[in-house]
Amino acid sequence: MSAVLQNLVNQPYKHGFVTEIEADIAPKGLNEEIIRLISSKKNEPEWLLTFRLQAYEKWLSMPQPGWQNVKYPEIDFQAISYYSAPKPKKKLASMDEVDPELLRTFEKLGVPMHERAALAGVAVDVIFDSVSVATTYKERLAEIGIIFCSFSEAVHSHPELVKKYLGTVVPIGDNFYAALNSAVFTDGSFCFIPKGVKCPMDLSTYFRINTEESGQFERTLIIAEEGASVSYLEGCTAPRFDTNQLHAAVVELIALDNAEIKYSTVQNWYAGDEKGVGGIYNFVTKRGLAKGANSRISWTQVETGSAITWKYPSCILRGENSVGEFYSVAVTNHYQQADTGTKMIHIGRNTRSTIVSKSISAGYSNSSYRGLVRIAPTAENARNYSQCDSMLIGDQCGVNTFPYIQVQNNSAKVEHEASTSRIGEDQLFYFLQRGIGAEEAVSMIINGFCKEVFQQLPLEFAVEATKLLSFKLEGSVG
Amino acid sequence: MSTVTNAAGYLENLVQSWRRPPAASLFWLDQLRAHAMNSVGTLRMPTTHDEEWRFTDISPLGRLPYPAARAAPKTQFSDISHYYLEEAIYRLVFVDGQFAPDLSNVANKADAIIGNLSSLITTHGDTIARYLGQLAELQNDIFTALNTAFLHDSACIIIPQNVSVTTPIHLLFISRQKEITSYPRCLVIAESGSNVTIVEDYVTTEQAAYVINSVVEMSLSDTAHVNHIRIQRDNQQAFHIGNCTVALAHASQYRSVSITLGAHISRYNLNVALAGEGAECTVDGLALISGHQLADTHTFIDHAKPHGKSRQLHKCIVDGIAHGVFNGRIMVRPHAQLTDSSQLSRNLLMTNKARIDTKPQLEIFADDVKCAHGATVGQLDKEEIFYLMSRGLSDLTARNLLTYAFGGEVIDRIAIPSLKKQLEEIILARTQIS
Repeated sequence: MSAVLQNLVNQPYKHGFVTEIEADIAPKGLNEEIIRLISSKKNEPEWLLTFRLQAYEKWLSMPQPGWQNVKYPEIDFQAISYYSAPKPKKKLASMDEVDPELLRTFEKLGVPMHERAALAGVAVDVIFDSVSVATTYKERLAEIGIIFCSFSEAVHSHPELVKKYLGTVVPIGDNFYAALNSAVFTDGSFCFIPKGVKCPMDLSTYFRINTEESGQFERTLIIAEEGASVSYLEGCTAPRFDTNQLHAAVVELIALDNAEIKYSTVQNWYAGDEKGVGGIYNFVTKRGLAKGANSRISWTQVETGSAITWKYPSCILRGENSVGEFYSVAVTNHYQQADTGTKMIHIGRNTRSTIVSKSISAGYSNSSYRGLVRIAPTAENARNYSQCDSMLIGDQCGVNTFPYIQVQNNSAKVEHEASTSRIGEDQLFYFLQRGIGAEEAVSMIINGFCKEVFQQLPLEFAVEATKLLSFKLEGSVG
Repeated sequence: MSTVTNAAGYLENLVQSWRRPPAASLFWLDQLRAHAMNSVGTLRMPTTHDEEWRFTDISPLGRLPYPAARAAPKTQFSDISHYYLEEAIYRLVFVDGQFAPDLSNVANKADAIIGNLSSLITTHGDTIARYLGQLAELQNDIFTALNTAFLHDSACIIIPQNVSVTTPIHLLFISRQKEITSYPRCLVIAESGSNVTIVEDYVTTEQAAYVINSVVEMSLSDTAHVNHIRIQRDNQQAFHIGNCTVALAHASQYRSVSITLGAHISRYNLNVALAGEGAECTVDGLALISGHQLADTHTFIDHAKPHGKSRQLHKCIVDGIAHGVFNGRIMVRPHAQLTDSSQLSRNLLMTNKARIDTKPQLEIFADDVKCAHGATVGQLDKEEIFYLMSRGLSDLTARNLLTYAFGGEVIDRIAIPSLKKQLEEIILARTQIS
């Protein structure tokens, strides 16, 4: 490969800064006391405390998983502080009352809240560390019956809904990190779209990890009732730190009859430096239950950050004719590791699923697609199409594909395809010969490679993702 | 069936029955067996909690305390002659793992050394010692370790430099006794520039359960060509565990077709290491199972050097409440640049009780490679059936024809007419549902 492209990777993390806000931090360590502390700090009802304690019991009995294709030093769960919240201030009536320091942070990230909200028509439920500070557009949404608020708020204002759905898609003992999250989650987003309502705007949560060494345990619950539809955006950036931070979120989606939930993620957390020091551990459990007939759940993700990304946004297709979709782009560079993919569990009749996964590895990174397509005996006429394409940039990185296909119904049709390629010398030559520089050429080739996934993103995310990719891979092609 | 012991019964029974070989045997062979027995001691029977055995529950095997076969029953030419291949001049027949010289046709001359271990060890001991037990994975695979620990005879084929053996070599492994374990073994040494076709054939005259634990080792020197056809037609009560390890040197070529028809539970591990530059392999398979059968094929193609090429087509036709498992792992190691690999797993489910678990798996650590894999699971295409019916075929005939054609694609890759005909008849009979 030509030397021209060699200098393009090593661009420092643009969003690496720490906002100095006094945080209320719980002592390090995890025990029943801490869980009671979290629960009491948040004035939680008794049933939620019970939920947490049950999860904690379960977690204690579970071994740490070891089957994943990512490596990291053992995590000391007693060295993490499980609660951190900005010092409580009086209730905010408008955006002007938001801590100016906080607003400046968003400014630096290039996401001025008012602007973004006004221009894009997006209601941003801002998560700053673990407590929601400001929620916009809530009233406008409330008029049509949509509840969009922080998780803690929902626990107080709509306990019956939270109680009914919490833990129904991801049970407390689902896996090691989901159990941990169920025990110690601090906040997150809650979204409820009532019967027949089509959410008029994209809902968005802006995640931000702030306090050093405070693992963040988000909990998101989205419910779309009969005939409802919603598009939800999740975008992430985190400041630069040298100690690893654990992020173990749980996202549960529930779609009833004819409902539709579209969940899009752009993840660009701190990935560690070029030597592989530091970075976020992103161990997330995301699962959607297409419970009703004709329901649809769609996951779109662009994973560019984190030292380790380890997640499988999944769909349980229980309703007849329900549809599951997974579109993913995972980019790894330097020493980043990713083990990601999806699970499509077909239970209902005539269920359909589509998987499109694109992974790009550069530097010394390692990226795996691990997916499961399971057709249960009850899933008559189920249909799945999977496609996983990988691109390698440089000869020190690795890509793996582990597609599990389990079929127990002969009327099902399952197809899986995977390919691996690299940016060809002749492709580059063609661009250069037309007067397009190597850097731009690579960017164009990669964007072409990921096009199928980017098309699924809401417009502003698609623009952001395209930029993010070229900037992540700068210097890696040589 | 004899007494059922605890889950470890099978293993314990075998370990107890193991004896040190007679003092007259060779020191290196002795050591190899003892070494393998040590490995057995460190290993346990796999369970469905082991990723490699996730879909294949062999616990029924663990409950069968079948001892190693001792003496083989007298076998007449007429008992088995219908299995003979007319093209094959050289034939090695093993009855319950014991070599049957009067049924075999061996060779020990300059252009081909084809015989059993006990007789060739005096003339070719040094060569055999260099390869026997060196390729097979003794440390991590309990079945390979057991086979090696109980190694008493083996098929040995040495093809000297630049020799082409024009007729296929037929290795016929016959099971004639119930409730025993037999340990077929085979060593193939293809020296540089040689060319040979080997048919590894498992047949039976018995109707009750027995266990087969076979190990095959093949070493291909520079530019050697080996065609390997493996047919497993045990009865539907049998347990069949097969391991085959192939090492390919510079520009050598290995072509294999494995056909799985029999056994209650069968497992075939095929490990192909492309250890020299420019080596090529074609690994094809067909499993045609019905009733309560379970057929598990695990292949591992290891591209360790640049310019390697691999092609794989694996098909399963699963009828009744049978269960087909396929795990095809392809590894491209760092610096194995310009590797060209493609793999396809196609599966046909005949009933709504049949089950398939397939996992084509790619692990790539080099960037200038061309790798693709695909998998499909489904039933016969409705449009294809419709097309045939529009030409006057009945629905049933159309289905039978399409099923036969699905399996026929793999059978077509066998270049021995008489064997192909035998298999075509079996497949035809099995795919004719009336």
